[in-house]
Amino acid sequence: MTDPAALWVNGRPYSTELPDDERLLDTLRWRLGLKGTKEGCRTGDCGACTVLVDGRSVLSCLTLTREVSEEAILTVEGLEADPVGRTVLEAFVQEAGLQCGYCTPGFVVALTGLLKERPNASPEELLEDLQGNLCRCTGYLSIRRAVVGLAKART
Amino acid sequence: MTFTLLAPATGEEAVAALLAAGPGELAVLAGGTDLLPDIDEGRTAPRRVLSLRRLPWRELNWTSTELEVGALVPLASLERNAELRRRMPGLFEAVGAVGGLALRHRATLGGNLVRASPVSDLIPILLALEARVGLYGAQGERELPLEEFLQSPRRTSLAPGELLRRVRIPARPCAFRWQRVRPANDISQLAVAVAYDPLGGDWRVATAGVAPLARRAPGAEAALHGVAPSDAEIRACADVAAHEAPVRADRRATDPYRRLLLRALVARAVRAVRDRPLESSS
Repeated sequence: MTDPAALWVNGRPYSTELPDDERLLDTLRWRLGLKGTKEGCRTGDCGACTVLVDGRSVLSCLTLTREVSEEAILTVEGLEADPVGRTVLEAFVQEAGLQCGYCTPGFVVALTGLLKERPNASPEELLEDLQGNLCRCTGYLSIRRAVVGLAKART
Repeated sequence: MTFTLLAPATGEEAVAALLAAGPGELAVLAGGTDLLPDIDEGRTAPRRVLSLRRLPWRELNWTSTELEVGALVPLASLERNAELRRRMPGLFEAVGAVGGLALRHRATLGGNLVRASPVSDLIPILLALEARVGLYGAQGERELPLEEFLQSPRRTSLAPGELLRRVRIPARPCAFRWQRVRPANDISQLAVAVAYDPLGGDWRVATAGVAPLARRAPGAEAALHGVAPSDAEIRACADVAAHEAPVRADRRATDPYRRLLLRALVARAVRAVRDRPLESSS
């Protein structure tokens, strides 16, 4: 019952067995070995599992892999090779925008998606659209600095 | 594997699959952001899931008097629509109140209404705007008011073999106000939607977080008259809303707190519509 599927993740093709009911989060972590994407709540409340599908942020815990298997998927592992993703990573490094780091992949992927969609978004708009990402360490101040610095550098 | 997935290419095929399924055997998947948690937590256990992803039901059409939204339009597409923000700020705010942006990239307007969640932020504003829904079935499409479509929490008047096809939303001045613990990815303790119908000169007030399902507040509506109700009228309207509501207490808020919220948010929402910039009344 697990038919093979072809996926396109971080600019390269993968071939894997894929049960119909499998979540994108589980496919990425356990079939493709891309464990940068984190499982936080698994109920759509925390944003830790955020990946980009066709350039738009989605919660991989609430997405069936089969529903998006024909689209380009970008995970935190692919950010360094992505021009926008790279600037986001640099901004987070610059401001040490993390504490334990568990929420970081979700934040940097979500922010990369936002900047791709709205390259000239203001810091306030970016912060508002990042409200779906939670940091259980409450390390928001350094994350905020990274986001604001990035937005200012781009405009 | 807990279920198998079907993804029909046409509405006809989707309806045929629905009609062929036994009770409880098949669940319909749009964005999945509400269905999949239900499956995870055992609240529903379909053997097959019917994905609508291949259906082209993603229109977003404006006319001079209304907005037509295909059932499969993701909520994020609505909030990125500049005309929506300008012409119907209340609907824009309500869309942005659902989950976080990553959830709204998947969650659809149709899914939100069909799931008829007691905590939906979209149902109150669409009730206030007197939205109508188009239902697609083997006999074609029929249209009915959203208020008739919603029967009780998690129950709609979709007949067997029917799918929500589109939502028609009159373009009217409106406002949406909510209170909750966290701004995103949280459930409103209370939400208030207000809309004004310039043709009839009527106000519509709807609330969520009060009764088991969002509902209109007829007493509060009747307290408002004309395009620019006075502050005294607005206070009276808010008082009626707070008194007439069958408020319930739950883990999110107590009854007295909800009544305080209701009074404050109804007044703020009505004032927001009354004092709107002229542009948004066009």
